[in-house]
Amino acid sequence: MAFRRVPSWRRRTAGLALAVLALCAPVFSAGAAPLEWAVKATYLYKFVAFVDWPPGALGAPGEPVALCIVGPDPFGRQIDEAGAGQQIGDHPIEVRRLRQATRGSGCRVLYVRGGSNRAALAAVAGEPVLTVTDGGGGGVVRFLLTRDGKVRFSIDQAAAAANGLTLSSKLLAVAVRP
Amino acid sequence: MKPDIVRFSNEMRQFGLAVVSAIAVLLAGGLLGAKTEEAYRQRSVEQAKVQADILAAGVAGALAFDDQKTVGENVAAIRRNPQIAAVGVYDVTGVLKARSAASGATGPPDRAPPSSARFHRNGVVVASPVIQQGVRLGEVYLRTAPETLSDTLRRHGGLALLVIMAVMALALLARNTAELQRRSAALEDANLRLLREMDEKARAEEALRQSQKMEALGQLTGGVAHDFNNLLTVIMGGLETIGRAAPPQVGDPTSARLHRARDMALQAAQRAATLTSRLLAFARRQPLEPRAIDVNRMVSGLAELMRSTLGEAVQVETVLGAGTWLTLADIGQLESALLNLAVNARDAMPDGGHLTIETANAALDDAYVAAQSEPVAAGQYVMLAVTDTGVGMDKQTLEHAVEPFFTTKEVGKGTGLGLSQVYGFVRQSAGHIRIYSELGEGTTVRLYLPRYRAAEVAPEERTDEALPGLLVGDETVLLVEDHDDLRAHSAGLLRELGYRVIETADGPAALAALEDNPDIALLFTDVVLPGGMNGRQVADQARARQPGLKVLFTTGYTRNAIVHNGALDPGVQLISKPYSFSELAAKVRRVLDQ
Repeated sequence: MAFRRVPSWRRRTAGLALAVLALCAPVFSAGAAPLEWAVKATYLYKFVAFVDWPPGALGAPGEPVALCIVGPDPFGRQIDEAGAGQQIGDHPIEVRRLRQATRGSGCRVLYVRGGSNRAALAAVAGEPVLTVTDGGGGGVVRFLLTRDGKVRFSIDQAAAAANGLTLSSKLLAVAVRP
Repeated sequence: MKPDIVRFSNEMRQFGLAVVSAIAVLLAGGLLGAKTEEAYRQRSVEQAKVQADILAAGVAGALAFDDQKTVGENVAAIRRNPQIAAVGVYDVTGVLKARSAASGATGPPDRAPPSSARFHRNGVVVASPVIQQGVRLGEVYLRTAPETLSDTLRRHGGLALLVIMAVMALALLARNTAELQRRSAALEDANLRLLREMDEKARAEEALRQSQKMEALGQLTGGVAHDFNNLLTVIMGGLETIGRAAPPQVGDPTSARLHRARDMALQAAQRAATLTSRLLAFARRQPLEPRAIDVNRMVSGLAELMRSTLGEAVQVETVLGAGTWLTLADIGQLESALLNLAVNARDAMPDGGHLTIETANAALDDAYVAAQSEPVAAGQYVMLAVTDTGVGMDKQTLEHAVEPFFTTKEVGKGTGLGLSQVYGFVRQSAGHIRIYSELGEGTTVRLYLPRYRAAEVAPEERTDEALPGLLVGDETVLLVEDHDDLRAHSAGLLRELGYRVIETADGPAALAALEDNPDIALLFTDVVLPGGMNGRQVADQARARQPGLKVLFTTGYTRNAIVHNGALDPGVQLISKPYSFSELAAKVRRVLDQ
């Protein structure tokens, strides 16, 4: 994250830190693509916590929650590192990489990148799956990049409802209005 | 003293009780206050935790998805509450993401503090994690503003006020109780005082009653004695005249019998005169001739007389004080008083015993004087005490001892006038009498006569007047006497002595006679006269008209006319009724020859 690079001696003054942050963030996010993927990887994990899953959707305690990456994997090892040791309640996160999304695959978070997402989204329509798209539209959550290069997302509540999911208002509050 | 101690210890107990109660109330108040404080702190911590939770919930999404703006908004919103002094939000790595602090207040720490919630002097400090469905997203820090003094006071004020009021009420109660006890004690004291005063009043009334009784008895006896004196003067004079008119015829048995009868009658009349003089003494109307008396010398002389008259069985002893003061009294009456006491003492010791006559100087102080029922002045006195070892008197007898005609002796043996004479004489001499007696132990009578402070000249010896041999004269005597018999008798005596006598019955008649007879040499007048003038007034007016006039008074008793306080005025000549022929002859001659 960009904040970590703020020299520690400057952190004492909040105003100064904010000024530094405003200057530095675009530089790093624009110039260092890997940072964007790292942010998105952690976001994917965190989304799980902001969803009210239908009863039984996450399975028995201890059963892993599957985070599926459909198609080409842009995260590489970053997503594994981000999810290492992470738990959503009683459930560990398990990253799965799928070529094709299929009904009944057990995915709870489904990440699709680019335009080849229609089939995948259709495959899990109606199932309690949080679909996350990265460009190309569709899905419950859509990653965006702001003009200053920050990772943001918008939310389609109708899509969520269609999949039987209720999203936390906390999530809605930080989402970008579509 | 004892009730005071009891009262004091009662008050101490009350005080102790109040102190213990006050301490108990204070303790209870303190406990309650501590309990309230504890509850308040818990509540404060809970409230701060709720605030922290609200903040954590508000910033959870923003922290998770790195929305600095939303974090800032939430922090600002929570800081709208003025009771929150400092707020900090940290991300999951412990880096401060947003902060806010009241001006002057310490800000949140730079790194996320460990989770805690505690009450602190500077306010409640809460640090709690931001967790979304088990996922730790960061940390919030929150510190409330320290409570202001006025808030603390308001919080504890009510209880403190109650405690203070309770303690004050206790103090008031204790004070009132003590006051009540004091008052009841004072009431008790007042009651005791009242009872004492009532006792004193009863005693004073008894004393007054006694003195009124004595006064009434004195009036009565004085009046009777006065009339008797007049009669006795006539009787005695008549008997003497009979004796002179019919001298005894040697060898005539009839004449001898008549003279024996006359002598017996005269003796009886003389004894009657003694009685009336005692009555007068009791009534304090005896004309006194006070002189300076050395009581030691007098007692020594009397003791000799007593030894010879009281008989072998009674041992007379004298204890004479050294340097005894002089006293001013009528020596004849004093001797009479001591003899009366001696006779009483002898009668109290039928089987013999000791009679002690004691003299001493004495001082009666104010306390002693105040305790007496009869008036007596404090000061220096000469004390004469007559003590016997006789049968003594019981209390009741003692009470009536000095009343005239009160006697314990057999009928015909005592007159009941002995102690009365002593009492009257002593009182008339401004003295004081005290009788101590116990049954079987004997009796002591103490006479206190005022000290005489005049030049201590040797008291003049009484010169027994020689019987009149040729005490006759031919001067003119103006006789003023309202009692017809007595006037006739006195006139007869004077004429028998050779004097020319002009008889008048009252003052105005006497003064008229004086006008008509310039050769009157002697005014012989009764003191008590009818017709608006007493003897003294007659004498004064007569002297005014005829300065060289000699005056001789006579009286059965005296009031104030010529005798002040029982003492003769200097230069006044007086002959007491009843008087004998020879006494009258001597006195008239002496006055005329002055």
